Amino acid sequence: MSSNQDLIGIIQAKLSSGETASSCHEASLMQGWVRASRILALVEHENEWALFIFISSRMPPEVFTDLAIERVIPVDSDFKCEIDAGEQSGDVYVNISSRKLKLLFEMIPGIKTNNFVSEIMRSMEALMKLRGPPPEFQWLHKYSGSTSNRNSADCDPAPVDAADVDVTKGAKTVAEKMLDIDSPDIVVPRQSIAQGATPIAARESVIRYQMSMKEDDYTFTETLRVFIGTWNVNGLPPNASLSPWLASDMEPPDLYAVGFQELDLSKEAFLFNDTPREEEWRKAVIAGLHPAAKYRQVALVRLVGMMLILLVQEKHEKHVRNVAWETVGTGIMGKMGNKGGVGIRVEIHNTSICFVNSHLAAHVEEFERRNQDYHDICSRLSFSKFVPTKCIKDHDQVYWLGDLNYRITEMEPRIVRDLISHNSLSALLECDQLNRQRQHKNVFDGYREGPITFKPTYKYDPGTDDWDSSEKNRAPAWCDRILWRGDGMEQKEYRSHPILRTSDHKPVSALFESQIRVIDVVKYRKVHEEVMKKLDKLENEFLPQVTVDNTEIIFDIVRFLEPQSQELIIANTGQVPVDFEFIKKLDDSKYCKEWLNIDPAASSIKPGEKCDVKLELFVDKKSASKLNSGEDKLYDILVLHLDGGKDIFITVTGNYERSCFGSSLEALVHISVPVREIPIGKLVELENVREAPGGMEPYPIPKEIWFLVDHLYRHGLKKQNLFLLTGLHSELIAIRNWLDNGSSEPLPGSLYSIAEALLLLLESTAEPIVPFNLHSVCLGAATNYLQCKQIIMQLPEFRRNVFLYLCFFLQELLSHANENGLDAKTLATVFGAIFLRDPPRVSARGRVNPAVMDRKKASFVYHFLVNDLSDYVMSKSLHLSGTS
Amino acid sequence: MAKKTYDLLFKLLLIGDSGVGKTSILFRFSDDAFTSTFISTIGIDFKIKTVELRGKKIKLQIWDTAGQERFHTITTSYYRGAMGIMLVYDVTDERSFENIVKWLRNIDEHANEDVEKMILGNKCDIDSKRAVNKDRGEAIAREYGVPFLETSAKANTNIDKAFNDLATAILDKFAGKEPGDAPDRVMVDTRRGDTSRRGCC
Repeated sequence: MSSNQDLIGIIQAKLSSGETASSCHEASLMQGWVRASRILALVEHENEWALFIFISSRMPPEVFTDLAIERVIPVDSDFKCEIDAGEQSGDVYVNISSRKLKLLFEMIPGIKTNNFVSEIMRSMEALMKLRGPPPEFQWLHKYSGSTSNRNSADCDPAPVDAADVDVTKGAKTVAEKMLDIDSPDIVVPRQSIAQGATPIAARESVIRYQMSMKEDDYTFTETLRVFIGTWNVNGLPPNASLSPWLASDMEPPDLYAVGFQELDLSKEAFLFNDTPREEEWRKAVIAGLHPAAKYRQVALVRLVGMMLILLVQEKHEKHVRNVAWETVGTGIMGKMGNKGGVGIRVEIHNTSICFVNSHLAAHVEEFERRNQDYHDICSRLSFSKFVPTKCIKDHDQVYWLGDLNYRITEMEPRIVRDLISHNSLSALLECDQLNRQRQHKNVFDGYREGPITFKPTYKYDPGTDDWDSSEKNRAPAWCDRILWRGDGMEQKEYRSHPILRTSDHKPVSALFESQIRVIDVVKYRKVHEEVMKKLDKLENEFLPQVTVDNTEIIFDIVRFLEPQSQELIIANTGQVPVDFEFIKKLDDSKYCKEWLNIDPAASSIKPGEKCDVKLELFVDKKSASKLNSGEDKLYDILVLHLDGGKDIFITVTGNYERSCFGSSLEALVHISVPVREIPIGKLVELENVREAPGGMEPYPIPKEIWFLVDHLYRHGLKKQNLFLLTGLHSELIAIRNWLDNGSSEPLPGSLYSIAEALLLLLESTAEPIVPFNLHSVCLGAATNYLQCKQIIMQLPEFRRNVFLYLCFFLQELLSHANENGLDAKTLATVFGAIFLRDPPRVSARGRVNPAVMDRKKASFVYHFLVNDLSDYVMSKSLHLSGTS
Repeated sequence: MAKKTYDLLFKLLLIGDSGVGKTSILFRFSDDAFTSTFISTIGIDFKIKTVELRGKKIKLQIWDTAGQERFHTITTSYYRGAMGIMLVYDVTDERSFENIVKWLRNIDEHANEDVEKMILGNKCDIDSKRAVNKDRGEAIAREYGVPFLETSAKANTNIDKAFNDLATAILDKFAGKEPGDAPDRVMVDTRRGDTSRRGCC
């Protein structure tokens, strides 16, 4: 893990001198349906900030060459940052938008994310506190080529004409160039998903992102007639109908935003913000509204003398949501409400609108103070009921009205009046402070104002249309103005209403036809449904998918001790990497039967790749007896589980050829012919019923044991290390065939192989010669020969026979100890483990002390190797010297 | 604040004899498509689909099971955790209808006690080979108190309705019980993670 400091260092190395990366963070960028890792950095250059988005060739990056700049977004007045918290995932979603660019980042919640987002917010605040012309971001020029390789051909390297006079329309600014937007068409980068690089984004964030990208598909625009009015009433009460101002148009407006300044100039109003004028003027407004429609008051906000009242036609009321209002005082001490602004924000259908009524600083020479008031209102007017709070600029449409107090400078009042009387307004407008300040981008950057065709609205002798005749002899000025900002807003009228003579100002109004985005509920549902469908489809497509070449694995003839294997090919045919695993089913203790081995039983496969799984079937001494008795079959259903996906059933079957190995002693003594000559049904019956077929007299011991022992007795008494050295696998198979099929040939294989075959035969039975339930008694009696003897005498007849027969033989072997080098202790240990074989599934760990147990078993058997066994009543056929 | 993309997650299960059209029903519902080639499902597969019911977004995770007899003991181990079970027979196959009773017994033995059930008589578009009248389907459904629909994955008859009805029944049951918090908890309980490791438990 590289610390944030390391990361900042790496990013810093990527930047030019004078540029400082102040903060950085890792985030996931939503790209259509998937997310991709990015590194974000906030970079500062001479008080201008920009958000850099880096792609790194590895995460985390180690050197600056790992980084490529994907995009640079200037933190300008169009830059927006919104935060959303995912309720389910707990992830934090950060929406960065600028003009038409919308980027959604997913960040891991925590202090790092908090810090980074607050840094972004701080840079936005810094921008708002900036005085003078807005930043031009010239330093970002050099990055515009590298923002997107695909767009590089379209990039116009010509520098932006910053001195463009037209405020409203300009050539592409640096910012606009930086943001050249990729096509929103969404392509799923299957290849990179396949490599596990970009997992599907969390559903909720994708849906949000998709719905915002498709907004045009489910919204239509509706035109609202918006009436904006502003009047400085000079502290006077209404004394005439307002309808010449408010109802001067043929058609009734859909919405009224009416602002007043200097509603009340009394001390009470200033100090206690309490005035009867509020209600007087409110009533006057309502009485003066257009008579052709019914209106409802949405909100009213007042700070001292500044009042803003918002009304909509009744029919729109239900579409107005999220109403909020705020006030900002910028008067005395920068706080008091004699100057400042009040604002109301609403959402009508799917469009957010903010109305600001402001009264800026007075006096001709104070235009800079007015500029500052404007900036103060911009930075301080925030609607705090929203998280994060919404500022004026966070709205789709903004109307700014009020007594902005900008004057006409560098002109004698007399000349001004003269020009007005000759209707030469254009010369005056050139000297209008607001126009000049806007040209220099010192104030109202991004706002528009319609052409002024009416006379200045200030200052008149109240009650008349005459210019100020007081001693001050103020020059006329267009103090009262209406500006706007946003898309789809068209001003139809901009005028004053000189007929209203109450005040020293004339009221001003503007009529707009503004496009409001309305959600078409039917279309919205359809688009939403499509997005969900597409997501469902993707989710289904991105489930792990494999094909297996064979779900029915058939092994033909399976014989004892002869392993066979088949291959299963699992191919990843899906879009995502697959983790597979064979899992246990039902109450099974393992994912497959004991005669099967799966390799690998779990692994991962990349898309388009395969995995060969080897299925090895091997019937050994552990599994043979169950197959012989029919307790088990060569049949298993394997459950191949894909992590996060489906399960596939794979059936494994085989045909087992039964052998004397795995048969019980009780069954074998009843069989006089080779095992292979007995029908399977009969063998199973013998294993379970244990009655002689056809009334045959059972052998005292299985003939197979006799064959093996007799051979060793005749040829192997002097053989060294008998039972200690292992035989050959091929010879064991040959011996098995000789025993199972019968043969006139001599018994094949070396003495070692034959000795091992004998042990294997004894080990393959379901139970050892001494049944499991007697083991603890035997071990308890191991020091006492008499007790051991009693236990043996109580064994079932055939077991006792075999036990004693083998002990006789072992004693015979030991009588040749001089030649074969065997000793009683060694043989007792070997046969102790055979006669008293542990039950299956008792792991060595489960036993008290394996070494002690093994010693006790050996000492149990030892008694029978060193003591005279002639007092046991023996059947004649048990004598070793019997005829063959 | 962010809205959840779905409010609830329901796990549904399709069971019934081999060849009655369980996979086709699921395919029609999830992909709105149909193919007449029969590929026997050898295992347990699922698809997801999000639906909106009573103003709630519900993510359905629908499990399709192997119908072959030899897999029955294994497939029953997947019943637990299912909130709704579609029991499908083929109207052109008398035997698959007769087995409905056996499947119902299976559900009683292995599924959650309060699982919502629904009987579907599929392939109702094939009138020429019909072996089971609609009346008989309705009768057995009435007898066991289980909703019933005749469907056709091929002709897209009643497929959406079947899933919507079943999901609605589950939804209503929760609404009837502990109001408010219950659905969220259910959703957590039935996350795939629970069953996937063990597969059959």
